[in-house]
Amino acid sequence: MLLRYLYVLPVVLTFSVGLFAAEQARPHDMSKMWQSSLAGGQISTGAVFDEHGTLWLAQVQDGHVLLSHSADLGKTFSDAVRVNPQPEAVAASGETRPKILLSKNGNIYIAYTQSLDTPYAGNIRFSRSLDGGKSFSAPITVNDNRDPITHRFEAMGVNARGQIYLAWLDKRDAALAKIRGEKYSGIAVYYAMSDDDGKSFHANIKVADHTCECCRVAMAIDSSDTPVIVWRHIFGKNVRDHGMARLDGSVRKPDDEFHVWRVTFENWEVEACPHHGPSLSISGDVYHLAWFNHAGERSGLFYARSADGGKTFSTPVSVGNGAHQAGHAAVLGKGNNVYLAWKEFDGEMSVINAMRSHDGGVTWGDVQKLAGTHDMSDHPLLIGNHEQVYLSWSTLQEGYRLIALPEDK
Amino acid sequence: MKWTGALILAFSLNSVLAAQEAKPLLRGSYQKIIAAHAGKPFIVALWSLSCTHCGADLQIFEWLLKKYPSFNLVLISTDTPEQDRAIAQRLRQYHLDKPAQTKSRNLESWVFADSYVERLHFEVDAQWYGELPRTYFFDAGGKATAISGVLRADNTENWIRSHP
Repeated sequence: MLLRYLYVLPVVLTFSVGLFAAEQARPHDMSKMWQSSLAGGQISTGAVFDEHGTLWLAQVQDGHVLLSHSADLGKTFSDAVRVNPQPEAVAASGETRPKILLSKNGNIYIAYTQSLDTPYAGNIRFSRSLDGGKSFSAPITVNDNRDPITHRFEAMGVNARGQIYLAWLDKRDAALAKIRGEKYSGIAVYYAMSDDDGKSFHANIKVADHTCECCRVAMAIDSSDTPVIVWRHIFGKNVRDHGMARLDGSVRKPDDEFHVWRVTFENWEVEACPHHGPSLSISGDVYHLAWFNHAGERSGLFYARSADGGKTFSTPVSVGNGAHQAGHAAVLGKGNNVYLAWKEFDGEMSVINAMRSHDGGVTWGDVQKLAGTHDMSDHPLLIGNHEQVYLSWSTLQEGYRLIALPEDK
Repeated sequence: MKWTGALILAFSLNSVLAAQEAKPLLRGSYQKIIAAHAGKPFIVALWSLSCTHCGADLQIFEWLLKKYPSFNLVLISTDTPEQDRAIAQRLRQYHLDKPAQTKSRNLESWVFADSYVERLHFEVDAQWYGELPRTYFFDAGGKATAISGVLRADNTENWIRSHP
């Protein structure tokens, strides 16, 4: 009997210690849990080819953005270099991947979202390497509003002049409206530009109020070196279609917003977080846009092209198998060739399917299956190495894969 | 060495305690939930901690459970089991947490417990793309109506009244 109690006692003691520890931890639980949600399955990967055909990857592990490169199309990789020296809650799942771009002068630019303790809150962070990826500058925070609120879902672009653009979703106006007791639907999209090779960024500029809160922003550089962005916008009371704007830097009054025009018309009226943003590529003077909407009959993944600078788009083409949850498309234009890749789930496995157009997106070839997996996976990313286009894809089971898009059958 | 053991034990006990809030939704769990409710009307509400619009729905359910204590509600968080405590905290704000679940036998709470979320999405509904909140209204015959986005309190109340 005594022996039994002696056995039980330590259990009771540790049980109490455990409860005590739990009590101690409680004030921070919310933030810890939020962070753990962001730390889970951080497989979303940024990738780009340089002009010599070397593949550069930005991946996230243990709070660090890690840069590595491969000279043999992903067969072997260099040792990874840490971008941020101090660990941060770097977001790398779902709609958010670390971004990597190269400029003509060989600089490497990295952008990522740093998640903050407060739910939905983040900062847009930027770092550069001037020595070919051997070392990185201490990351800077690009959003000049530092409240612990949403600054997330950044898109990055570099033009031929070497100017670096970052655009992101920003809650500062919504937060201010709340304090004032005013109504404000959604959040806003802001951007900032660097013309000193990423040493610093100019003041943040608001592009538009009333964007959807949780879909990635897409950016592409047009033929006149001007970035064009597209995002899920809130039109009217709650129609979540896509808006577009050119970040042309025209001088405007401080409160004068950029001209924003509507580019999709499925009329998805929903007060929800779709977590499903668009993809944009500009090839020559043709805009290629892929997006998702879920508005009753006009539901699923779509593609359309514009030959007039995004003012008007072609009749949307349905992409993929709607019964297999086709979604999260990537689009890439290379001259007259246009490539689309997207994810489907057939009830057993996730696959990345792709198709190609040889005539600038007017007609499309057959759907080809590129790869599959049986667990968590990144959204597809298409990157070009000169004329060859590759799928860049990370999966929990298989790790990172670089897959050349095949010629049409 | 003993202390390490004690600490490990303490941690595992903590996680056992924490794991009580929401039941793990595994492959096949959803179909079992539906089967368990067969023959009666019920609502399945999918939500997450990171969904900015989901609080509005939880507030509607709090109000409706107070007014109609006998309607059947299945809450499914698309977060992870590791976030159990945060899930509990959020549900507590709306009096939908464990004590409420114990009191009202027709309220239950689940959490996505498989890294392969696409598969869970598909098991719930091939036409659901993961947007949140997502709500299913099951009638007694098992026929479901799906709604994406924040619910309307009056419509939801009307549904509950017309599906006793």
